[in-house]
Amino acid sequence: MRIRSRKAIYGLAAGVAAVSLALSGCTASSDTPVASTSPSAATQGDDPENAALTYWYWGESDAPGANDWMKARIADYQTAHPGVTINFVEQSTDTLIGAFSTTAQTKSGPDIATQWATIPVLSQAWAGAIAPISDYVPASETDNWIGTQENTDKGKIWGVPLYVIGIPLAYNKDLFTKAGIANGPTTFDELISDCGALKAAGISPVGMGNKDGYFGAWFFSNFGKQQLDDVSELKSAIVGTNNIADPKYTGFYQAMYDMKQKGCLNDDIGSVTLDQGMAKFEQGKAAMAWGTDGLVTKWSKALGADKIGVVKTPVWGTGKLASVYNTTQSSTAFITSWSQHPKAAAQFLTFLHSPENQASWYAATGIFPADTRFDQTAIQTDLAKQLWAFDSSPGAVWLENYLPPSVDGDGDLAAGQVITSGGSVADAVSTFQKAVEKWRATNTDEVKNYTAWAGQ
Amino acid sequence: MTDPALVRSSAAAPWGAAADERVRPAGARKRRRQLWSYLFVVPAVLGMGFGFVFPLVTVVRNSFYAGSFYKLSFVGFDNYRFIFGDDVFIRSLTNNFRLLLTVPFMTIVALLVAVILNDGIRGWKVYRSSIFLPYILPAAGIGLTFSVFLQFNGGLNTFLRSVGLSSIAADWLGSQTWAIWSVGGVVVWQQLGFGVVVFLAALLSLPPEVTEAARIDGASWWQLQTKIHVPQIRTAIEFFMVTEAITVLSWVFTYVYVLTLGGPGNSSSVMEFYIWKNGFAQGSVGLANAAAVVVLLIASVLIAIYLRLRARPDAGARL
Repeated sequence: MRIRSRKAIYGLAAGVAAVSLALSGCTASSDTPVASTSPSAATQGDDPENAALTYWYWGESDAPGANDWMKARIADYQTAHPGVTINFVEQSTDTLIGAFSTTAQTKSGPDIATQWATIPVLSQAWAGAIAPISDYVPASETDNWIGTQENTDKGKIWGVPLYVIGIPLAYNKDLFTKAGIANGPTTFDELISDCGALKAAGISPVGMGNKDGYFGAWFFSNFGKQQLDDVSELKSAIVGTNNIADPKYTGFYQAMYDMKQKGCLNDDIGSVTLDQGMAKFEQGKAAMAWGTDGLVTKWSKALGADKIGVVKTPVWGTGKLASVYNTTQSSTAFITSWSQHPKAAAQFLTFLHSPENQASWYAATGIFPADTRFDQTAIQTDLAKQLWAFDSSPGAVWLENYLPPSVDGDGDLAAGQVITSGGSVADAVSTFQKAVEKWRATNTDEVKNYTAWAGQ
Repeated sequence: MTDPALVRSSAAAPWGAAADERVRPAGARKRRRQLWSYLFVVPAVLGMGFGFVFPLVTVVRNSFYAGSFYKLSFVGFDNYRFIFGDDVFIRSLTNNFRLLLTVPFMTIVALLVAVILNDGIRGWKVYRSSIFLPYILPAAGIGLTFSVFLQFNGGLNTFLRSVGLSSIAADWLGSQTWAIWSVGGVVVWQQLGFGVVVFLAALLSLPPEVTEAARIDGASWWQLQTKIHVPQIRTAIEFFMVTEAITVLSWVFTYVYVLTLGGPGNSSSVMEFYIWKNGFAQGSVGLANAAAVVVLLIASVLIAIYLRLRARPDAGARL
C-alpha cells in the first residue's frame, strides 16, 4: 500500500513537472502584451448615451466626503443621461494596486478605475491596461486640468486628475502657546527645538502612525526631495545611473532618525496606522501632524479653524526642491483599455470637471478641484486661502509618485518603519537600496519603460 | 451455475444486453465492469483536475517566468535564485519556522488542559466551550481586536503599567523584535481550543477498563496521564501537531495582514504574505509563484511525515 502511494506521488509529481515544462515552452503568446491601448473595433459602436459603466473609485482617505460626492454626481449624471448606468465600487487603500492588477490580467472589470498618480498609473499604461484619455477628450478641455504632466508619457495623457492636495504641517495654536512657541516651524532645527519645548510642557509634539508605512512614505516625499534640484535626479538613481544609497537620495532617513531620537514622534508610532496617529492631532493630544488639505479642513472643524495653523514642511535639505511645496493630484481616474464604452466613460469623467461639480466637490471635501477654471471666490476661510496659496505655488511635486510600486512597498514604506521601530539609518538605507535593486532585477519590462520615460 | 451478482448486473443493465453478457469471456466482462467504474469517477476526476491540478501546474509553470501578469517572459530558475538571495524572503521563511515553535508549545498546553478537563472537574463542559470559542471566531476579527490590544498604548501595556510591570511593556506590534512573536501569540490563543477539543475527545473515547486497572495497580495521577492516557492518544497528538504545523506554515496570512502588515520593515513577513505582496500588491508574478512552490514543497514534506506516521503498524486509529 505504501509503495503504491509512493508511486502515485511520484507519478503526480512527474505529471505536474511534465505539463509545466510543456506549458513553459508556450512562450509566444505570453510575450505579447494582452491589452490594446487604442480604440478597438469592439468599441466602434460605443454610444456615450447608452452604456453600463463600472467605476472602481478611491478617494475617501484623501478627501473625507469624496464617496458621497461621487455617488451624488453619478446619480446626477444618470438622471441627465437615462441610457447610462454607472456602478460605483469603492476600493480600499491596501489593495488599490493589487486589485486592479489582478483584474487587468483577465481584461475585464471596471470601465473606469483609480490608481495613484504617475508610476502607479503609467506602469498600468505601459502594461496596456489603460486607454489614454487624450484620445477621447479634446485638448481644449484637458488644457484646463491641473497636474496632467504627472500622467503624461509618449505624448499622451493617460488619466484624469480630479483634485489636488498638498500635505501641510498643521499645528495646534493653543498647545504651541502653552509651550511658549509663537509660530509653526519653518526649518528642521526649529522643528526639533519646538519638539523639545512641547515635551518640556508635557505635550506630545507630533501625532503620526507608521504601522502601515505611510508616515515613512510621506516623510520621503516631504524631506526626500529636499536634497534634490530636480526630480530627474531621483529617476536616474532609480534606474541605476546614480547611486540610490547616496545621502543625496537617502540622507533624509537621518532626519527621521533624529526626530525619533529627540522624542518628536509619538511613542506608539510603530503600532498605530497613519490615520490612527493623525487622529491624535484631531483629538488635541498632539501638537503637530502632517495631513492632506481635506484632513486639515476636517480637523479645523473639530478643533476650530482659528486654533489651527499650517506651514510647509520645515526646510531640512539644501537642494532646489527643499522649499518647493508637496502637491499632487494623488489619485487619478482612467479608462481601462478593455472598456467597451470608452467614449461614455470619457464623457462622464469630463462631466466631473464641470463648474457646478467643481463647486460641489470643494463644498463637500474642502479640497481644491484639479482645474484652472475653479472659481476661487469659493475659498472663504483664511485657512483655506493659505492652503490654496501653498498648493498653487510653482514647481510643487510629490516625490513618492516617481517610485515604482514595488520600490514604494518594499523600500519606501519598509525603510521608514525600520527607523520608527528603533532601527538604524544604515539599515533603513539598505532596505531602500535592496528594494530598488530587486525592482531592477525582476521587472525588466517596467525598468525599460521607466528608463525610456525618465529620459524624455 | 449462474453468478447471482452477474444476474443482478445484467438485469439492471439499461442497454438490454443481458444475453451478450452471459456469453462473453469472464476477463472481458471484468474489464468492462472496471471501465464503467472508472467512468463514474470521471466527473470527480475532472473536478479535482480543474480545482487542484490546473492551479498547481499553473503555479509551477509561472514560477519559471518573470514580469507582470500582462507580459511574462521565461527566465528559467532565475526566480528561485533570486528569492533565496532576497533578505525579505529568507526572513519570511525564517518567520514561518519561528512560528513552528508555537506548535509544541500549543500541544503541551492543550494536552495539559485536556487531561485536567478529562478528570471531570466541576464545570468542565463550560471550560471546554470557553477555550474552544476563539477557534470559531473569524481570524480577521481576532486580528483587529489584538491590533488594538497590543498597541504600545493598548490594553495589554496599560494593564502591565498599572500593576507596576512597565519594564516589560514592549511595543508588541511596532518592534522588529517582537512583532512576529506577537503574531505567534495570537495564533496560539486562537488555535489552542482546537487542540483541547481534539485531545479531550480522544481521551473521552479511551476504554475505561485500562484506566481502572491502572488505578487498582496503584498508579498515581501523573503516571495515569503519562503512562496510560497520553500514549493512547498519540495519533490525535500527531494529527494535531501536523495540522498546526501546516497551519502556521500556510494559514497565518490573515493574522499578519491585520496585525502587522508584515512590518515593521518586513520583520514579521511570512511566506504567504511575501507571496501576496509580490503577486498582488506589486505584480511580481514569477517571484510569488516561486515562493508558492517552496511553500508547497515544505507543506508536502510535513504531509509526508504525517502519512508516514499514520502508516506505522503500531499507529492507533482512534481519531
